[in-house]
Amino acid sequence: MLGAIFNGLRTTLGYLFRKPVTVEYPEVKRPVRERFRGRHQLKRFANGMERCIGCSLCAAACPSDAILVVPAANDPAQPNSPGERYAATYEINMLRCIFCGYCEDACPTNAIVLEHQYEISFYDRTSSIFTKELLLVAADRGHGEIPPVLAQLDRRPSPPAQIDL
Amino acid sequence: MPDVTLIIDGRTVTVPAGTNIVDAARTTEVAIPVFCYHPKLKPVGMCRMCLVEVWTPLIDQATRQPVLNPDGTPKLGLMMGKLQPGCVTPVAAGMVVKTVTDKVQFAQRGQLEFLLSSHPLDCPVCDKGGECPLQNLTMQFGPSTSRYDYQDKVHFEKPIPLGDTIYLDRERCILCSRCVRFQDDIAGDPVLGFDSRGRSWEIISKSDPPFDSKFSGNTTDICPVGALTSSDFRFKARVWEVRPVPVVCTHCPVGCNITLDMRHDRLMRVMPRENDFVNEIWNCDKGRFGMRHVDDATRLTTPLVRRGEQLVPASWDEALRVAAQGLMRVRSSAGATALAGMIGADASNEDFALFRHVMHGVLGTPHLDHRPGGPADVALETASARFGVSSGTNLLGLGTGTLVLLVGADPEEEAPLYVLRLRGIVARGGQLVTVNAHPTKLDGSAARVVRVAPGREAALIQAVVCGILDGGAPMSSRARGIDRLRTSLKGASAVQLAAAAGVEFEVVRALTDQLISAPNMIIMIGRTGLAQGSAVSDAVGALAAVTGAFGRPGSGVIALNPGGNARGAQDLGIVPGEGGLAAAQYWDAIARGELKAMLVAGLDPATLGAASASALDALDFLVVQDAFLSDTARRADVVLPCAMLPERDGTFTNAERRVQRSRQARQAPDGQRAHWQILQGIAAALGSDPGYSVSSDVTDAIAAQVPAYAGARYTSLGVTAGDWGRQANESVYYDGTSYTNTEGTGVQLPTGVERDGLPPVAAPLTPLTGGVPTGTLAVLVPRAYDGRDWARGSKLAPRMVPPHVIVGPADAGTLGIGVGEPVTLTSARGSVTLPAQIDRGLAAGTVLIVDVAGFAAADLCGGVITSVDVARGEA
Ligand code: SF4
Ligand code: SF4
Ligand code: SF4
Ligand code: SF4
Ligand code: FES
Repeated sequence: MLGAIFNGLRTTLGYLFRKPVTVEYPEVKRPVRERFRGRHQLKRFANGMERCIGCSLCAAACPSDAILVVPAANDPAQPNSPGERYAATYEINMLRCIFCGYCEDACPTNAIVLEHQYEISFYDRTSSIFTKELLLVAADRGHGEIPPVLAQLDRRPSPPAQIDL
Repeated sequence: MPDVTLIIDGRTVTVPAGTNIVDAARTTEVAIPVFCYHPKLKPVGMCRMCLVEVWTPLIDQATRQPVLNPDGTPKLGLMMGKLQPGCVTPVAAGMVVKTVTDKVQFAQRGQLEFLLSSHPLDCPVCDKGGECPLQNLTMQFGPSTSRYDYQDKVHFEKPIPLGDTIYLDRERCILCSRCVRFQDDIAGDPVLGFDSRGRSWEIISKSDPPFDSKFSGNTTDICPVGALTSSDFRFKARVWEVRPVPVVCTHCPVGCNITLDMRHDRLMRVMPRENDFVNEIWNCDKGRFGMRHVDDATRLTTPLVRRGEQLVPASWDEALRVAAQGLMRVRSSAGATALAGMIGADASNEDFALFRHVMHGVLGTPHLDHRPGGPADVALETASARFGVSSGTNLLGLGTGTLVLLVGADPEEEAPLYVLRLRGIVARGGQLVTVNAHPTKLDGSAARVVRVAPGREAALIQAVVCGILDGGAPMSSRARGIDRLRTSLKGASAVQLAAAAGVEFEVVRALTDQLISAPNMIIMIGRTGLAQGSAVSDAVGALAAVTGAFGRPGSGVIALNPGGNARGAQDLGIVPGEGGLAAAQYWDAIARGELKAMLVAGLDPATLGAASASALDALDFLVVQDAFLSDTARRADVVLPCAMLPERDGTFTNAERRVQRSRQARQAPDGQRAHWQILQGIAAALGSDPGYSVSSDVTDAIAAQVPAYAGARYTSLGVTAGDWGRQANESVYYDGTSYTNTEGTGVQLPTGVERDGLPPVAAPLTPLTGGVPTGTLAVLVPRAYDGRDWARGSKLAPRMVPPHVIVGPADAGTLGIGVGEPVTLTSARGSVTLPAQIDRGLAAGTVLIVDVAGFAAADLCGGVITSVDVARGEA
């Protein structure tokens, strides 16, 4: 009887002296995999311009209808994005999003990217709507690299994507 | 034409000789890809997308006999040894067409690769994306990769405005010339053209102002790429995001079927919806770009009730109660005849039914009208009801053998789409005759232009009737009252009447011959004709009677009563009843103290002139139903905000008596109510609630009560019959070109003779034999772009016609007036100074005044034609 109990506890005792597999979240945060799909960011070009051209293709691709894009024409004197069109409104409802990444695939300019942030809880439902202000990266955080999907395929980028490459 | 039998992709088809291969293939659901060809346009063979293999029987040159195979079948040879463009190759007997072979597919791939070699491929930002034939055909027939570099493509500045409403992106243009051909052949405004050569080849506008056409929006539909897009829809939404709602345009009596594309309850764009009986696949710019007022920020949102000098917001219950009590108070103190009502002619049949219920049924006044009460008010005519085109009429089916007589009408300004319909009749071999006192656009398409003295259209028609009666030709007409016609003309002769019309008798004789030899005749009367009392419509009725041009499809009278539903208003009794006054008489009656209270729905009579404005001020009680705080509404005791076209359901009757259903696209943004709902509320407050809950209840009640409308219930209105033959698999070619009509083409009401079999009676005529008037006559002419409420927020705003006077070159010369210089017109009523325009086609002694917002017509004109003194104005 006792023997059986000690026999069982041996496994427990054994683990007591091993390195734990858990981490003390939130003090310690575990790095995610490179292809992890977390909270979206709207990217910019190196010169600070928004990559998003307001084409709504992400919204069309989204299986859970989480994205709202309302486009508008750029003011040629002060364009928000290269070309004629930009997204005046860009919203993602994080309660609807299933983090499938289809939006990222659909985007012709690699503007919408699912990044590594996964802490996206909120206290009330209305905060689940992430607006363009929240999603857009800071103006000095632009990057001008060839969209990875195109680099991978060694394809000539389609025109909107190749602007400023 | 004899029929030809051929084989297309193994299917045997028989089509009329002269049909091209693309159209022949469409009849058997073989779809040959096209870019430049369009079934509504003449083929030009510019794009070579439609290349197919055409095999024809070989003919032995020596014997002229078909060469036979050993098995006795005719030996076939590839036509000219290469692929042929299907859109410009007519069918021939024995042809064998192959549309899916390696050779054809190779050509299609190559063609698309070529087109894309200088195409910017900016589909993500292109408004055509999603309904673009170039996208569709590339997906279906194109190569998957391109061998061209982006850097090699042509680059142009993009986009450039081609006019106020249209943008051109030259990089996207595939130079198919559909837009040019539409403007030249269908619209008759040849304002577009090609410029330059080679890589710089481009579309330009040749007119001033640029793209000066009332049909420009249609070019964005038929452009097979996103080269032409509208400034109205620019970057509003993607086409797959919108919810299309079928409605009927109420801007004019044509009643075009249109679609409101809604996104989140906001109107994104207006598209035509095909209906071969009404608008084919087109609509006009006023209908397409003139709907932005529905989202105007100045719309009324709540009912307003007068407290002292101020109109203050009130609840619906309170406002309806105050309105009902006010009307009732006046009725008990001054009697029912002290009340009057007017409702605009673009309201629905349901609105009219409730209006009549409240004003006539409950309050008991005979003073009802749907006309605005100004000098250009049309007389009530019955010619189009008695001698109207019968049900089954489709102008699209008319051509050779049809004569269209336009009397005092300018369809371009009154009912724009009729320009396209009538030009179509001419293109198919029909004839057009215009009878007007001034030049109109359709003169250019007419076989005969008859210029009468102002106000003498009736005399001319009487001369023709007289000539026919005296000509002794046997009368086959079934109309009654013809024998009385001659006596009613009291011995006036055709010569006298022609002289009174100011027309050479020879012209009248030739016109008479032309009219009696036409197998089908459509007579269209416009506002200028209708506004001259009943003389013109009676004369036109008599003409229809003596020529027998009535009571069959394709013959009869069409009256262009202003407003989207004037026909319905007349049918449903929104006309002065027994002892009732016409709207134009209200103002004097108010001044005399006979009328004390009014209900005005959807009209703004205060802008007509000082008389109506002060009359409205003098009323004891005024209820106004309107969408905006108009000048009339400012004078009201109760203002009730009404729902606009997208927010209401209902039926509308067009000039050809076709009843059509318009659907609700959204809830009214601030709880505004449709006229019929408001009127039902007033009726309820008066203790006589008819208790309808939805619009179709009223439609059913109308169908039950008004014999002519017996067939016009939602079920029958929803039947779709006839379209331009877009086959199920063809959307890829004609995407973006109007919407398929799935919601019903409407019901054409029968004429009286069809309902009861009794031939109509021609009204006796009063001969107009007085001499041609001397002195200058001013004609108040309508303008489509009149700058009224519909123009709010529209891209057409810069095109609104400012108030001005049009003088002929002779008068301008004698008075020394140049373009833009002030002219002073003085009539018995008053005097006005307006800038002048010069029209080279205008005869001396005639001036035209445009009837537009900003010009109080009643302060100068006593009727549509006014005798005036013209003088150079002080600058
Ligand atoms: S990740 Fe998927 S669900 Fe989320 S917004 Fe993008 S497409 Fe929609
Ligand atoms: S994020 Fe990309 S796909 Fe979405 S609207 Fe912007 S550019 Fe288009
Ligand atoms: S603008 Fe459009 S319709 Fe006109 S030629 Fe170019 S592609 Fe054709
Ligand atoms: S022709 Fe008349 S009914 Fe048609 S769209 Fe134009 S204004 Fe509307
Ligand atoms: S050449 Fe036939 S469709 Fe263009």
